[in-house]
Amino acid sequence: MIETEALIIGAGPVGLFQAFQLGLQDIRCHVVDSLPQAGGQCVELYAHKPIYDIPGIPLCTGQELIDKLQLQIKPFAPAFHLEELVSELHATEDGQWHVQTNKGTQFKAATVFIAAGVGAFVKRGLSLPGFNELMGKHIFHEAPNSSAFKGKHLLVLGDSDAALQACQQWMQGPEAAASVTLVHRRNHFQADPQAVDAMRLACEMKSMRFVVGQPTGLIHAEGVLSGLELMNAEGESDILQVDSILLCLGLSPKLGPLGHWGLAMERKQLPVNTESFATEASGIFAVGDINTYPGKKKLILCGFHEATLAAFGASALLRPEQKTPLQYTTTSTHLHKLLGLS
Amino acid sequence: MTHVVSESCIRCKYTDCVDVCPVDCFREGPNFLTIDPDECIDCAVCIPECPVNAIYAEEDLPADQVHMTKLNAELALLPTWKSITKRKIPMPDADDWKDKTGKLSELIR
Repeated sequence: MIETEALIIGAGPVGLFQAFQLGLQDIRCHVVDSLPQAGGQCVELYAHKPIYDIPGIPLCTGQELIDKLQLQIKPFAPAFHLEELVSELHATEDGQWHVQTNKGTQFKAATVFIAAGVGAFVKRGLSLPGFNELMGKHIFHEAPNSSAFKGKHLLVLGDSDAALQACQQWMQGPEAAASVTLVHRRNHFQADPQAVDAMRLACEMKSMRFVVGQPTGLIHAEGVLSGLELMNAEGESDILQVDSILLCLGLSPKLGPLGHWGLAMERKQLPVNTESFATEASGIFAVGDINTYPGKKKLILCGFHEATLAAFGASALLRPEQKTPLQYTTTSTHLHKLLGLS
Repeated sequence: MTHVVSESCIRCKYTDCVDVCPVDCFREGPNFLTIDPDECIDCAVCIPECPVNAIYAEEDLPADQVHMTKLNAELALLPTWKSITKRKIPMPDADDWKDKTGKLSELIR
């Protein structure tokens, strides 16, 4: 059990800036995110796309913004718990919050900052009967080892660079699959055009094949997968023989467990007051795209403001006997000390 | 405010958008997808997913598409228009229709 004054759920730009503002209040924090890296949507969806409305930064990409925020919070060294999805949150008897992740990490936190954006990014699966039973045995999000598909009839699902790379990897070499078939629901790819050309060439060389289709059924008996039923664009059904399926379907944000924590929600968002961005549950704050209040605008820079006031709110809550003075990072020796400057 | 599917989607239904929606607010008709404005949280994640750029924030709709806000809301209430949360194969002649404009008369309720 990790005991902490503050826990931040979500390592997007607002979650990261929350760590900075808590740091200025001398509140140490832990940060949990479902993705393997910090950055949230900024990195997952907009890594190389431009952002023009961050104050003082005329232009940066999503990734650049996250890199700068990481640098900014470095003095406070928040502890990151990546690739973990917060599954449970409930109040403890002594007025704190018990938080648990899907990997079993447990926290007892005096304050919780929900900076979950549009929810957690989770790997897409297949909503077909038998999927859960076969997952990890015959269906994978990534190869469990470098010879996992050796001699197997492998289906790769998806249209990303990762999907095409997987085809290249498994169609040749000493660990090659018996056959590699790429399946995507249309003959158009998100992947780099060069990778697509290489894939088409490999198909011409009969090193692999590409099939357009939408998976409609898994054929399996006693936990062993033998085929994938597909529907093609003409609505006809076809069955592909298969031993293993590799899913490269990317990520999809889902509100997930957050909806079941018993917090008051309004249109799947958390209502907050605009003095401290606290929710109605004492000690729980919501910042960024996940919250709602009159006049709410889903902008990163608004999230920064919200995180700032939430940190003041947390300070008042955690240290009621102590005044929370407003200090400037330009002149305050106290803040300089916290920032490791003196 | 809400996000709105414009006429570009008619007879295409690429369905890339439905998969990313965190609140499952898309509804599917015979040849068009609509957004339920009571469910949409304006997260904008769906906008870049659409291969024909059919989705707009309400206030960003092109002038010739503003009628789609009302139509989206209306269609979302039809009992036969069910929630769609997983991608599927686009309509068979989607690629032929994707660049056509003025498709409103093609809409099947």
